[in-house]
Amino acid sequence: MKRINISQFYKGFNLTAFSLVMVFLYIPILILIIFSFNDAKIITGWRGFTTKYYLQLVENDAIKEAFRNTMLIAGLSTLISTIFGILTALGMENKRFSGRRIVSALIYIPLVIPDILMGVSLALLFNFTRVNTGMLTVLIAHITFCISYTVIVIQSRLEGFDYSLVEAAMDLGAKPATIFWKIKFPLMLPGIIAAALLAFTLSIDDFIITFFTSGRGFDTLPIYVEGTIRRGTITTINSLSTLMIGFTLFLVVITKRVRKVLISSL
Amino acid sequence: MNQGLRFTRDQNRKNLASWLLTTPALLWLLIFFLIPYLIVIIYSFLTPDIYDVNFEFSLDAYRQALGADYLKTFFLSFRLAVLTTLLCVLLGFPVAYYIARAKDKLKNTLLVFIIIPFWTNLIIRIFSWRIFLAYNGVLNDILIKAGVIGAPLEIMRTDLAVILVMVYVYLPYMILPLYSVLEKLDFTLLQAAMDLGANELKAFFRITLPLAAEGIFAGSLLVFIPALGAYLIPQLVGNQKSLYLGQVITYKIKNIPRNWPMASALSLILLFGVAVLLLLLFALYKRSKARRRV
Repeated sequence: MKRINISQFYKGFNLTAFSLVMVFLYIPILILIIFSFNDAKIITGWRGFTTKYYLQLVENDAIKEAFRNTMLIAGLSTLISTIFGILTALGMENKRFSGRRIVSALIYIPLVIPDILMGVSLALLFNFTRVNTGMLTVLIAHITFCISYTVIVIQSRLEGFDYSLVEAAMDLGAKPATIFWKIKFPLMLPGIIAAALLAFTLSIDDFIITFFTSGRGFDTLPIYVEGTIRRGTITTINSLSTLMIGFTLFLVVITKRVRKVLISSL
Repeated sequence: MNQGLRFTRDQNRKNLASWLLTTPALLWLLIFFLIPYLIVIIYSFLTPDIYDVNFEFSLDAYRQALGADYLKTFFLSFRLAVLTTLLCVLLGFPVAYYIARAKDKLKNTLLVFIIIPFWTNLIIRIFSWRIFLAYNGVLNDILIKAGVIGAPLEIMRTDLAVILVMVYVYLPYMILPLYSVLEKLDFTLLQAAMDLGANELKAFFRITLPLAAEGIFAGSLLVFIPALGAYLIPQLVGNQKSLYLGQVITYKIKNIPRNWPMASALSLILLFGVAVLLLLLFALYKRSKARRRV
């Protein structure tokens, strides 16, 4: 009798904890969405409904440029780091590869070092080599921090690979190129998509490494938003944030396929 | 003999192919990951200039970084990392446990709820806490209107706000690895323990917790390490009286007069701390695993 009570207590406790954490996770996001319609220029309580800050958003050239920069950097760094990821994962398939440990170390170490250190070290590299900071340096930085993730995600998908399919195709006389494009690549594709999505999200989200490697005049959205918050003009940030949350929701909820891939990539 | 020779030739060819395939990433990481650290090491032994560095050898940066000036900074960042990790474990464990024991259909939906904030832009989430906690913000507005408090609470720009937002941001990093070990946990073990007379508490501490240790290790790494170098959260919700390590390093590089040797020395101390921590955790993990096998 007593045991059942404790058991129920545990279940109730976990449910309560779960609900509280949900509230904790979502209240700020809800408030942000609601207050993007607040008719106020500064952080304050509710002052009335308006959609004018969404209209200001469309007219704001700095935001539009930051958005274009973000997408350009995210697109290019995703493409390049995913290609690096595919090649490296294929190379690491060979268990007797003599460079396995070196490659593994270089892939995994960046993941266990605070981001800020990559930012600092790249800032010093570009200072030392007298490279002007801007789009190119940001792109280099983003590719650098994305590589580890793309390699690991694609590699983990290759681990469960069924080689009997390749052997069967070889026995039937298929050429290596045919085997790659007809069998291996299609089976690798979910991993490649997961890796690309992860790289894209990491790139869009990054603040600190971009902060250290972008010069004046090249803003991505996170850099623009941070600067605007610091200067205290927040009107468009609410509406911009709401749109960005909408974008995330679109990615995560609407596209079920994407959702599945995202979960399995974690 | 002939067959053996062909075998090794085949191996060599495969090895060469692996080198060719991994070379692009290897070179890239060599140039943009390893070499930059060499430059950080070199810069840490130079003297600062207002905008740049002077190539004169000096140990001043280390002398200052390890002196009394930065004791508070190191303490604050360490305390932040410890508290954030602890709170994330305490809050994350019941949540991960709840999801792991939910019905299969429900599991994925619940996980998505954890992941959505995780995939939402970091700055936006920090900004939303500013709206919530500000002096004229939503929380104070509600509490005053409800008559709970007379004057607004000053939570924004305190160390409390920093810890709160850190936990908020890093909680999913703890929940996901915890979930993945708890999901694999064989719950019949718990049933067996209780049938043999253990109560729920004992079963939890003797079975669930040791088996979940791997997830706690992984989650703690994902929370503790970034927390040591946190910049954005202390910068946006903390105050300028208590500066964290990430802020100090950033100021030394971004603000004029610059002090790049100082930023380099502090970065290397942080890197050293992380390395020591990782080695310790790894040794601990290996020992606990060996003990479990016996």
